[in-house]
Amino acid sequence: MVAQMTVELATAEDTVDFGRRLGGALRAGDLVLLAGPLGAGKTTMTRGIAEGMQVSGRVSSPTFVLARVHPAGQRGVPLVHVDAYRLGGDLSQLDDLDLDTDLEESAVVVEWGEGLAERLSEDHLVVRLDRRGDEVRTVDLEPHGTWTARVTDLRLAG
Amino acid sequence: MSRIIMGVESSCDETGIGLVRLHDDGTVELLADEVASSVEQHARFGGVVPEVASRAHLEAMVPTTRRAFTTAGLEMSDVDAIAVTAGPGLAGALLVGVSAAKAYAAALGVPLYGVNHLAGHIAVDTLQHGPLPSPCLALLVSGGHTQLLRVDDIAGKITEIGSTVDDAAGEAYDKVARLLGLPYPGGPPIDKAAKAGDPQAIAFPRGMTGPRDAKFDFSFSGLKTAVARWVEGAQARGEEIPVADVAASFQEAVADVLTAKAVRAATESGIGTLVISGGVAANSRLSSLAAQRCAEAGIELRVPRPRLCTDNGAMIAALGAHVVAAGCAPSSLDLSANPALPVSAVSV
Repeated sequence: MVAQMTVELATAEDTVDFGRRLGGALRAGDLVLLAGPLGAGKTTMTRGIAEGMQVSGRVSSPTFVLARVHPAGQRGVPLVHVDAYRLGGDLSQLDDLDLDTDLEESAVVVEWGEGLAERLSEDHLVVRLDRRGDEVRTVDLEPHGTWTARVTDLRLAG
Repeated sequence: MSRIIMGVESSCDETGIGLVRLHDDGTVELLADEVASSVEQHARFGGVVPEVASRAHLEAMVPTTRRAFTTAGLEMSDVDAIAVTAGPGLAGALLVGVSAAKAYAAALGVPLYGVNHLAGHIAVDTLQHGPLPSPCLALLVSGGHTQLLRVDDIAGKITEIGSTVDDAAGEAYDKVARLLGLPYPGGPPIDKAAKAGDPQAIAFPRGMTGPRDAKFDFSFSGLKTAVARWVEGAQARGEEIPVADVAASFQEAVADVLTAKAVRAATESGIGTLVISGGVAANSRLSSLAAQRCAEAGIELRVPRPRLCTDNGAMIAALGAHVVAAGCAPSSLDLSANPALPVSAVSV
């Protein structure tokens, strides 16, 4: 049984805030899949996740570079920001990217990864973003594996 | 005595080998510029496959090198130094070029210079327009990069004064092309469709132009979202999408922000020359608007021809020549690729 939870985000800053709280809860080995149409706020949320994880390096769209590693800060866990948009559907190739980090020691956030990245780990959180109205975004959290228990502790609604 | 510099580029989809002659007066002459692209292979897989990219570089490296020497009418033993892209780019792809360059340098007994891909995009202009004045301003726009750079010395001092905070300009083109049902890469088809459209038809937002926004940074994510909303709205009302008008209005928004910020940066720093390079520099509206605004502001505009703007080995050879001419120390044979090499590191 998958527990769903929906949150409304009124502004881009709210999307960053939400990401910051999620990032604060991420640990080594975590897998987060960001889903949603063009312009739903996936990169914006990742910016918040990076802040919450206190990793270094500016977050921008990884579409062109496929994946970008943000080195660990005080919390000791690096962030791997992946974009599956150009990867053509096979995330097993993440290993072939020769990322300068061990995926099991990092938190991995994948944009456009829904339906592709699940097989990396049964344990994962799907964050489904959508656009409404002019600025408003909605976010649905769909926890899998141990995330089912963890998601209730997140207090993501602030 | 002039020197021959070989350039090796493999940071993304193109395997490029360039050969240039560095003359005693510091001018750099293009002798060969051979490129093999793996874009078609990626299209077959429906996206970039890192292993396919690396393998394609590996397979293309030697034949492309041979072609370059044949074109230039030179022997490998004529080479005096080898320059190679050390970053930024895809790790596996960079590694192929770096390994090949090391092997050539060791076999020929010539110095090796690991250089910066982004600086190469600026240096390539000297092959067409001669030495760069110091300082000059460079607007680098491509699928992966959108940066405003101050260039005090192409061989050593480049400073970022602005960059995109989200999507690169070329990436916005690719994603908007997808929304409009146009092919990849999105730059050329949007440019073509826009010619039949009205650039004022739809008022798309100009990102990062508010009074509290960073003056020289760019944002194209909001523009991409605005186009998506507009297209979805028209579809919901059952209207046919006016592709030409959407393309023209989108392109106008991109060209407007890029040129306005570049000209403003040049004017405020008292810089008299603007170089626009990278794949998006081939865009017709960007170059015409840049020409108009530079002329109004009394700024000299330099845009390399399209063939030199996209990734190639000649740009790396050209940068290598300037680094050699400046007397910079060569790289060690321990040189490694750095996917995240900052533009401030012109040679490593």
